[in-house]
Order: sequence, then C-alpha cells, then structure tokens
Amino acid sequence: MSLVRRLLPPTAGVVVLLLVWYGICRMELFNAYVLPPPAKVFDSFRNMWISGEIFQDVYISVTRVFRGFAIAFVLAFGLGMFRAVFPAAGPYFEYLVQFFRNVPPLSLIPLLILWCGIGETTKTVIIVLASFFPMYLNIVKGFTGCDRKLLEVGNMFGYSRRETFFKIVLPYASADILVGMRIGLGYSWRAIIGAEMVAASAGLGHMILFAQQMSRTDKVIVGILVIGIVGCATDRLFGLAIGKLLKGNYENGWN
Amino acid sequence: MAGIEITNLKKSYEVEKREVPVLTGVNLKIPEKQITVILGRSGCGKTTLLRLTGGLEAADSGQIRYDGAHRTAFVFQEPRLMPWLTVRQNILFGLRGRERRENGAAADEIIRTVGLEGFETAYPSQLSGGMQQRNALARALAYRPSFIMMDEPFAALDYFTREQMQRELLRVQKTESCSILFVTHSIDEALLLGNRIVVLEKGKVKREYVPGEHGEERNLLDDRFIRLKREIIADLNEAGRG
Repeated sequence: MSLVRRLLPPTAGVVVLLLVWYGICRMELFNAYVLPPPAKVFDSFRNMWISGEIFQDVYISVTRVFRGFAIAFVLAFGLGMFRAVFPAAGPYFEYLVQFFRNVPPLSLIPLLILWCGIGETTKTVIIVLASFFPMYLNIVKGFTGCDRKLLEVGNMFGYSRRETFFKIVLPYASADILVGMRIGLGYSWRAIIGAEMVAASAGLGHMILFAQQMSRTDKVIVGILVIGIVGCATDRLFGLAIGKLLKGNYENGWN
Repeated sequence: MAGIEITNLKKSYEVEKREVPVLTGVNLKIPEKQITVILGRSGCGKTTLLRLTGGLEAADSGQIRYDGAHRTAFVFQEPRLMPWLTVRQNILFGLRGRERRENGAAADEIIRTVGLEGFETAYPSQLSGGMQQRNALARALAYRPSFIMMDEPFAALDYFTREQMQRELLRVQKTESCSILFVTHSIDEALLLGNRIVVLEKGKVKREYVPGEHGEERNLLDDRFIRLKREIIADLNEAGRG
C-alpha cells in the first residue's frame, strides 16, 4: 500500500504529461515533424532498443562522464586538501580558480579541438572542467568550515595534525564533499551532451544532432528522454549511496 | 599536596585592538580526587582559568605546576560529540592504538556507570540533551585523565535533568575517585557539588570555601548551607559593586 502511495504521485505526473502530448498531437495543432506523437517516439525507441544502437550511445556517454568525473574528483580533492592544509597558499591560485570557474567549458571547445584533436581527450577535458569547480568549492568549504569546537576536542586528546584531519576534518566535510560530487556529476552530464553535439562521432549528444540532420524529430525526442532518465537514475543511485554513507549524520536532505 | 598548583597566572585578550585583562594573577591549589568548583559572575575569567589549566590555551605569564603525570579531559557546556560516530565510538574517541584495544571492556563499564547501556550503537542526534552530556562525560572518563575539566556542563539542561546529572556526577566521582575542576555560575550547583569552592572575581581568587566531604546527599536547605550561600552571595555582590 505504502509503495503504491509513494509511486502514485510521480506516475500521475508522467501520465498527465503524456496525455497532454497525445492530445496536442491528436488535435493536429502542430505538424507531425515538429511534434511527433508519443506512439511514434515509442516506436523509434523500441527499434533503437532492438538494434542496440541506443545502448551503445548511452554506454559511450556514461563512460566518458565517469572517466572525466573521476579525474575531476581526484584533482578537486587534492587541491582542496592542499588549500586546507596550507591556507597561506590559497591566494596564489584562488583567483585563477575563480577565473576558470567563470569560463563555460563549451567556450573552450575550439581551443581544445586544436590542442587535443577530436578524440576522447577533448571530451574528458570538458567534463573535468565542468565538474571540477563545484566539487572543489564544496570540498574547500567542507575542509575550512570545520567546527572549531570539535577541533578543540581533538586538541584536548592530543591529536596530531594528521589525526585531526582524518578523524575530524574529513568526516565533518564528508557531507559537503558529497554535495559537491552530486552537483559535479550533474554538470558533467550536461557538459558531455554539449560536447558531443559539437565534436563527436558517437554518444547521446551526437545521436541527437545526427537525428536532427536526418530530420528524425522522433529520434531527437528519444535522445532527450534517455538523457533525462539516465541522469535521474545516476543521481538517484548517488543519493542512495550517500544516504548509506551519512547514516549517522544529521538530516542530510538527500532522500 | 598532589594536584595542580597555580601561581600568579595572568592572561589578557585583545578585543577591538584593546588589551582586556581576564586573569590578573591567580594563585590556587587544586587538590586531586576532589571536586573543586570555580564560581563567579559572567566574565570573571572562570572559563579562561579552566582552559589554561587544561592546556587548551597558553598563559601570558605565571605557572601551572602539575603534580605527577597530567592528562586532562574536558566536558564542555555543549556535548561536542562527533555526529558521525555512535555512542560507543564517541566514548573511545580519545583512545588510540593499544589503549583503544585494551580499554574496550572498560568502555562497557563506563557506559553502565553513566547509564547509557542499550544505546551503544545510537548516534548523538538520536539522544536527548542529557544523554548527550552523559556521553561526553563518559568520553572524558574513558580517557583516564588525571583531571576532568568541566565548563558549565549542565547549564543547557532543564532543571530536572540537571539535578539528575549532578547526582550522577557525585556518584561517578565517588566510584571512580576522579579529580574534577568544575566551572559554574550557579551558587546552588557549587554548594551541591564542591568539596572546595573558589570564588573568582575580576581575574583573581576572592575567597575559598571548603564545605568538606560529601557524606549523605547535601541538603541545601540545611542551616549550614544557607549560611554559606548568604556569604557567597555577599561576596559576589561586593564583586559586582566594586
């Protein structure tokens, strides 16, 4: 009963949207090319599923996201930790970080193609650039915002700097770090679709652009739906993992 | 006398580019295995004295001499538990390596002493204020300190919980025979807990009272304590006027 009650509102939302879509198509307000009916979109989706081409695109995009995301996380964590351990070094690179944070990664594509070609490197760099900053900022916030009162507890037990970091600062920062990771994941997912639309021969972004050139609006919509669903699914899985990790912590607002 | 001996301790802070003296020459002997209460108005320097004695801050001048090995643990006004650790893990937070392995059984004993059995795997957010403060006390006890520094540990609790915690503290002090330096602004609390009460005023020790050993539970409505309370109030009023 509770499961039904929990699933009912979201399902109802989706059903209403589908009905509106269907109604608009039924009334023939728009040309079927501009807005293909749900049945046609579903049909294309089924064909792409059977032929397996949709899986290939999803697989390629997702792999790119996770590769870039992992690299960005390692860099952000390393630099954030460096910033926390040596606060005096902060001013040397803080403005550079702010500068690059304000440059949209997509605007760097022309340069990146010139420097790294149109291979995987360009895409990886774009994802790294997109997801590094939210992670870095949250990691720094987590590390530097540690409650002084808790640090004093470590102090009273004679903790070394190392112990203080691993036993107080890091666990305290974990909530912020995970928030940064979740935002970073969302950013990299958006960035990869953009990058694939500009410079790629495979992946969901490329699939959409290719479908547009072939005048297959139905396939474009399939691409959009798949992007949304995969994005939601990864975010949800991430949220569940966080819920497990932060079990003891105060309400974390994830679920 | 074993314990802590403080001579001519001075400390000032810089506030808004102005030097504000907090301790202006404290001389005090704190005996071990007793509860010594530091009593005073807000801003008289009691917390500073406690923090200096416990080694959380350094003094400007003066001396703190510890007799024998010294190892201090604090119980603050807030519980200051690690929210990501369970009750048991919080209790063992101060112990490391071999100490931690060897004191596992002792931790169970302490959990019983402070009355937290059955809550070993709970997280601080699941506990009431009084239980969190008991958890903090247990963490201090598990560290096996030569002195426990308590900075108004019960001030944030309601009347009934505070009374209960005071009784428990007396019981724990008796069973563990630990040395406690206790800061409070409540005269009743000082009279109830102190083997020795030190009235602090403007960064100096104004007077010391020795209500003595705890026999039965003290009745603050007893003539002796009412007289003592009057004297202390007179002391503090003088301090306020002066």
